[in-house]
Amino acid sequence: MTLSAESFAYVAEIVRRRSAIQLDVGKEYLVESRLLPLARAAGQEIDEFVDALRRRQDPGEITRVVEAMTTNETSWFRDGVPYVALRETEVPRLVAARRGVGRLRVWSAACSTGQEPYSVAMTLADVLPPSMQAHILATDLSEQVLERARSGRYSQLEVNRGMPAGMLVTHMERVGTEWQVAQPVRDMVEFRAHNLLDAAPAGPFDLVLLRNVLIYFDMPTKAAILERVRRVLHPDGALMLGAAETTLGVHEGFERVSVGRTSLYRPLAVDASGAPAPAVVGPPPAAAATGVPLPRRTAAPVLPATTPTPGRVTSTLPPRGATR
Amino acid sequence: MRALVIDDSRTMRRIVSSTLERIGFETIEAGHGREALDHLEAGERVDLACIDWNMPVMDGLTFVTEVRANPAWRDVTLMMVTTESEQGQIVRALAAGAHEYLIKPFTADAVRDKLDLLGLIPAEELA
Amino acid sequence: MTTTTVVHDQVHAIAQEVFAAMVDGDLGLLLPWEGELPALDDALVAWVDLFGEWSGRAVLLTATDTAQELTRALLGLPDGEPVERADLDDAFGEIANVVGGNLKALLPHPGTLGLPQIGSDLPPLEGAVRALHLPLSWRGRLFVVDVWVTTAGTTTEGAS
Repeated sequence: MTLSAESFAYVAEIVRRRSAIQLDVGKEYLVESRLLPLARAAGQEIDEFVDALRRRQDPGEITRVVEAMTTNETSWFRDGVPYVALRETEVPRLVAARRGVGRLRVWSAACSTGQEPYSVAMTLADVLPPSMQAHILATDLSEQVLERARSGRYSQLEVNRGMPAGMLVTHMERVGTEWQVAQPVRDMVEFRAHNLLDAAPAGPFDLVLLRNVLIYFDMPTKAAILERVRRVLHPDGALMLGAAETTLGVHEGFERVSVGRTSLYRPLAVDASGAPAPAVVGPPPAAAATGVPLPRRTAAPVLPATTPTPGRVTSTLPPRGATR
Repeated sequence: MRALVIDDSRTMRRIVSSTLERIGFETIEAGHGREALDHLEAGERVDLACIDWNMPVMDGLTFVTEVRANPAWRDVTLMMVTTESEQGQIVRALAAGAHEYLIKPFTADAVRDKLDLLGLIPAEELA
Repeated sequence: MTTTTVVHDQVHAIAQEVFAAMVDGDLGLLLPWEGELPALDDALVAWVDLFGEWSGRAVLLTATDTAQELTRALLGLPDGEPVERADLDDAFGEIANVVGGNLKALLPHPGTLGLPQIGSDLPPLEGAVRALHLPLSWRGRLFVVDVWVTTAGTTTEGAS
């Protein structure tokens, strides 16, 4: 089964456009090996599969193909410093503020294969007092990806990406050639399909992670998504964005706060344009109250293959039994 | 920043060294733990040691134990780079004083990630 | 007698990870070999022995020029650059070491790994049966991973 030159050229083009990854002539084997499982799943030969892809121009399918071709950039504890800020400052603050409630609620809003919500869960498992519980809602568009995430199983290569060794041995277990997130940590996370273009899940959340996903939406959509998030965030909760992202210029309803070596965003009682609009506790109305149109597209956002900005992590788990 | 790459395979030493050099490290190599200790005992400055486990003469775990026993070398960051990937082995290495653990096979990105965790990316590298 | 089921898919996954990470960059080019196995004119074999409650041998087999290409890929050498024998042995042996090491981690009880060895023939391993035969295609060239299991656990320890 050999890929035709046209098929290769088409795949190389969509990959280049979506991810800036260059597939030069000579990489035909690569495309073949990556697309073969997808073609087989569709009951097709590779060229047939690529032809159908080209004809249908279905954004979801194209995304899947691009994802199959590009490096898996999903790492654990991505960017490092936000998790340090959670561990050292933000979670202790929330614990003190929620003592009466006894529970923290977190929403990981583009959870992909699960590394992000599990990273948060592991951090909470280390830091929460026994009297506090945590529930992490992890959502993504793709049910396929959620299935993987629910299993909590990762290859050694995936686990090598950003997982501190101490966390690995504490919160994961070897299963065959793979590693699996330990049951108590998995129990903290609920995976659910959700489209960011739809109404947000019922809040209020103490922490929302919306990292490295807004980049693929246009400005009005970004504002609409941020507005939905704002409405389900506790007034003293926090929004975490990706390392190179900001609400500045996009949505007036957040205040950037420096915590440790990172920034968090606290919700304000105004909407995207700055008009007074307190947060809504409970399911938000289906129609936009702010005049920002809610598009009814169901196009899946393309998950980025961006290189995370390297940052310095000042604190790490001390090695057991040793002073540093 | 200087790294000491310790592995009995010349191929592996070259792979690790070239990955570290691309990140901005200066590298020196050793074929086993004893040779590596010789470098430290000679007073050479080492910020990071990447250590294979299974080596002749002196293995990686013994090297880690020796380094941690000497207060003069307390600022040397110790990272195992090994095929030993059983849970128990990783626990042993961390208990002996290793700061991080990278399982073979690894990618250059994985090395970067570990160095990020350890706060060891050379300043010129930060964008 | 200690027996362990060596799972085909797991060994395939190990081989793919080794190649993906160290040889080809993040994306793997290792596919199942389709069709008849060609005879290899100039075969090279690398192996590591495993010792412990479960004993056996992980074997890699390929043509010498494929092993040379592999070495060039590992060391980042340009196409066609001559590969010294010592570099070839070390590189091919290290691939066997990493595959063997990951295989060892699948076993129920921790064991030890011998030093990698290279040759043009595989010396016989007493009392061993081939538990797994995995012919693969790397860049269109044949690359075989075999796992042999001895039917009796050995008490001989190799270098640890």
